[in-house]
This record gives sequence, structure tokens and C-alpha cells, in this order.
Amino acid sequence: MNLTGAVLLLALAPLIGGPVREPTADFAQAGLRDAARVSVDSTVWRQVQFDAARFDSVTASALREILSSAAERGLPTAPLINRALEGAARKASGTRILTVVREYSAALEQARTMLGTESTVQELEAGASALRAGIDPMIVASVRTTRPTGSAYVPLMVLTDLVIRGVPTSTARDAVTSIARMPKSDDALLGLQSTVAKNAVRGPGMAVDALRRYLRTTVPAIGPPPAPAALDRKPIRPPPS
Amino acid sequence: MTDRNDVLPFDAPEGHDAALAAQVVAMYAATPPADSGAADRCARAVLAQSMHAPEVGTSGLLRPRWWWGAAAAVLVVAGSATLWRSPALPRDAATSVTSSSPQSAVVQPTGAVTAIDGGDGVRFDLTLPAAAREVALVGDFNGWDEKATKMARRSKAQTWSAEVPLTPGRHVYAFVIDGTRWLVDPLAPQVPDAGFGPSNAVVVEGGVQ
Repeated sequence: MNLTGAVLLLALAPLIGGPVREPTADFAQAGLRDAARVSVDSTVWRQVQFDAARFDSVTASALREILSSAAERGLPTAPLINRALEGAARKASGTRILTVVREYSAALEQARTMLGTESTVQELEAGASALRAGIDPMIVASVRTTRPTGSAYVPLMVLTDLVIRGVPTSTARDAVTSIARMPKSDDALLGLQSTVAKNAVRGPGMAVDALRRYLRTTVPAIGPPPAPAALDRKPIRPPPS
Repeated sequence: MTDRNDVLPFDAPEGHDAALAAQVVAMYAATPPADSGAADRCARAVLAQSMHAPEVGTSGLLRPRWWWGAAAAVLVVAGSATLWRSPALPRDAATSVTSSSPQSAVVQPTGAVTAIDGGDGVRFDLTLPAAAREVALVGDFNGWDEKATKMARRSKAQTWSAEVPLTPGRHVYAFVIDGTRWLVDPLAPQVPDAGFGPSNAVVVEGGVQ
């Protein structure tokens, strides 16, 4: 090859290779070209590859269809691939893997509805987990309002954990939203989770008590419970007729 | 001989075989009348046969009964279910938060996740209440491959550690004990069972707040 040919080849190399598409590396192995349309949070790197060799051929084929369908609906496929890989690692049957991935896809879609289309993959995953824990979708949406886009996954994760440990959903929601509205409160939320987890071993009642104690020391606005309104107000007498 | 149509207990249809009908009537007429006591004798004989069945030399309890078959069926089903259990089932039986109770005296495993100073990595520690040959860390950061991240045992204690480079954000993980038993840290944030078993979640700092 002469020098002119080499220069020409170098100049045309980007065109021959095609445009660089960051997210497609995850799906090229599975031939999921449609997945390139999924908006993937570029700040989060995840080693997610659809390794078809970990499934039987029927399951792998069905998974490709589910992933393609999710990509067409604008859903992230990385969480779905993760669930499938988890099922394969736990030696679940192909039927069970497909069922779980389908259900998780539906949960992701519902989470996107409640959290908004601008939500990140991590927020959608945390929202889907909250929904699967039985938390009301409106509560998930209320947590969304406490944080700007991209930062609601910690409150959602803590809320899910509290509910799993037996804290009533309304109590958990009030605690999480009151802390989440504070600036830079991820550490405070994780501290709440840790405190409740340690006390939940002794029963749900102890978990709720620990939650209230933690709130009193963390959130300034929350003080001792106010006295009943009837005690600090004079009775109203009817005007004399 | 009487008229054949008179002896028939029904109206003869059109075109019936008169000769055949005459034969049947003749045979019926030739039959001797039944003994009035024959039916009683027959009934008594059948009753006596059934009430005095020959004993086989067993007590009442050991006599063949219908529930012998039912009991045998239950035993067969239970035995089959026990043998049919796949060895992969314990992989689904991860320790979950809901299994812990105030009354349980079982020592729980304890875990810890700490950020590595000066790096983007995270250190996972797990202390087990019993001995284990090997412990692996699996999660969405290594494709849930139990061969990808083996944990190292620290000295002779049952504390296992692994350092994993993780990007900021939320990651889901679990532990695999001896390649068969899946375990979660009971105090770490829990991820609800998606259908395979519970798992943990960890948040690596650095994300948006």
C-alpha cells in the first residue's frame, strides 16, 4: 500500500467504521440495534451485557423480543438485562426469568409514568422497586417532588426499605419526604435507614419509635408533638340572645 | 288359541311379524309360574353370604380398609416431592429481612460497605456466623457472575472482603456462599424480591443531590 492509499484509508476510517454510539456496545452482542434508541444515563457506567449463552435458546430469543419491545417504548433495557442475568445466576427456569423480566418492564413503565419521562435509569429502577414493594404509585410520585431530576433514587430506596421492614407507608413517606427536602440529605436518609434497620430486628414498633427519634434529631422543624388545640384555646360562648 | 293381538301388552305396530309374536307368546305361556318364596330365599342367601364372609385371620385394624390406599398415596406423593426437589432451590432461599424476628436466636450475618479512600471503589465486608469455603459477590456491576468477584477471607475469622470499583449511584448486589446459598446483609438497604429472591442495594456517593 502506498502512502496516498494509507492517508486515504485513515481519512475514511471514521466513515467506514460508522458513527460512534456509546450505549450500543451493551447490545451489539445480542444484535439489539433498536436498543440504541434508549436514552442511557451516560454518567453511570454499568457492566450490562446480554450474554445469550447464559440462557437456553428459547429464553434468549424471548428475552430479545422483550428487550426490543422495551427499547421501542423508550424504557431502559439495562435493568431488564440485569434481572435476566440475576435469574440465570440463581438458576431460575426460563419461564420464570421471562415472567420476572416482563413484570419488571411493566413496573419500570409505571415508574416512568409516576416519576416523569426525564427521570434517570436509577430513579426508574428505584421507583420500580418501590412499586414492587407495594408502595402506592401516588406516594412514589410525591417523593419525586422533593428532589430535582436525577437525585430521587436515594429517597425512593430508603422509603422502600422502611416499608419492607414494617414501617407504615404513610409514616415512612412523611419521614422520607421531610428529610429529602433538606439540602444534601442523602447521608441523613441513609442514616435513617440504618437506624430503622437496627431497631426493626426488635419489631415494627421499635422501628417506628426509632424513626421518630431520628426525625426529632435530624429535621429541625419537627419538635415535640403540639398540645391539643382544645387546651390552648378558650371556649367560645354563644352570643346572648 | 286366543287372538295374538289380544295377548300383546301393547298395540301392535303396523307390519309386525305376527308369527314371531306368536312364538314369543307361546314361550311366555309355557314358562312355569315362579315360586312365591324363591325371591325371599335368594335374598336371604345373598345377605347371609355377605354378612358371614370368611375371616382371613387378621384383627379389625389390620383388615384391608379404604384408607390404606389413601395413606399409601400420601406417602408416595410426599416421597416424590422430597426427591423431586432440585438442588438449585437453596439458591433462592436468601436471608431476608422478613425472616428475622425478635424471638429468633439465630446469629445473623453482618455486612458493611465502605468507600475506599482516594478511589472510586467500594469495599464489601461480610461476617458469617458459620464457616464457609468460599464467598462470592454478585450484582449488577459484574453481570451477576459469581465467578467474577470472589471475596477474600481475612485471617482465620469468618469475615470476607472484596473491593470493587463502582461508579456513583445505586447498585444492587448479593452474596453467594459456597456457590449454592444466596445471602443478603440484613441491615443493608433491601431491594424487594423481584421474583428470584431478595437482594441488597448500595449507594455510592458522588451523584446529584
